[in-house]
Amino acid sequence: MSADEFDPEIERLFSKSPPLADAQLFAADVESRLASSGRVRALALSFAGLVGGILAVRQTMNVNLNLAGEDGPVAGRALGQGLNAATATVQASVQSGLDQIGMSGLGLGAMSSLQLFWLTAGGLIALAAAGVVRLSQEA
Amino acid sequence: MSFSLKDRHDVELAALAAAGGRREFGELVRRHGSAVRGLLRRMGAEGSVADDIAQDAFIQAFQRCTEFRGDGTFASWIKRIAARLYIKRRAKDARYVDEAAAADESAPGVDHAGRLDLDEALKTLSEPERLCVSLCHGAGLSHPEIATALNLPLGTVKSHVKRGLDKLRARLQPEPAQSLGGKQHVG
Repeated sequence: MSADEFDPEIERLFSKSPPLADAQLFAADVESRLASSGRVRALALSFAGLVGGILAVRQTMNVNLNLAGEDGPVAGRALGQGLNAATATVQASVQSGLDQIGMSGLGLGAMSSLQLFWLTAGGLIALAAAGVVRLSQEA
Repeated sequence: MSFSLKDRHDVELAALAAAGGRREFGELVRRHGSAVRGLLRRMGAEGSVADDIAQDAFIQAFQRCTEFRGDGTFASWIKRIAARLYIKRRAKDARYVDEAAAADESAPGVDHAGRLDLDEALKTLSEPERLCVSLCHGAGLSHPEIATALNLPLGTVKSHVKRGLDKLRARLQPEPAQSLGGKQHVG
């Protein structure tokens, strides 16, 4: 075997790797890690969606549309009245939902929606910053 | 017509994995897990460390599956990811390649059956030589890529690879007597 032939021979030897006895176990471990990370991601996204949804509903309930007033156009008045009725209905159902899951006593009502929004946004930014720091440490 | 996972090509499986297919990715792990773990061991990682890094490499590959476009083989792509992760782990453990571990000069290059045994032959190399040769010929990294990854001068990497290959050549090259099936002709 000449020196010129040797490098391809080394690469051929490197490319041949005997299958390990616990290959199936290793694959199962990787798959279970993938499944658990998928669950965590799904939970985090669901939680973020829930928080976002609650905030959006609360924000919507606080929108003060003056379309229903006497100064508005006829179509606007009808739309405004409909919106006010829908808002009242949504407000009542959200409130009852919050009561059922025990969130009515958390004092969120004392905060304005804007405060709640910024509080949550701050939390999410802090979480994102922590993620970036961790990624940069791993990199 | 439906194909089972075993019938599908790596590129196809990777594309399905990129769309979130964990089962398809599992098949890729089954196909290439041993090769990745073997490479990490050849680079010098202990068994459990090699397996941890190999797992991390596959998890990372799953998350970055969209980056694999099938230009090369999936095996070489995942090996490069694993090799880079191993280098990072070594740097984190502050065990840089300059601190050469004692090589086992007595390790045979040929096994009892007379086959070329790369794993045994690699043990005769110093740690930097073993790492550089494995990165170059096992993971498919170029010399400049190795130099960047290991933070070593390019010339140093080239000499580690050359010295390592010289040692492997000496260790693995069959003796003339062996190449003739052990027969010796005496004039």
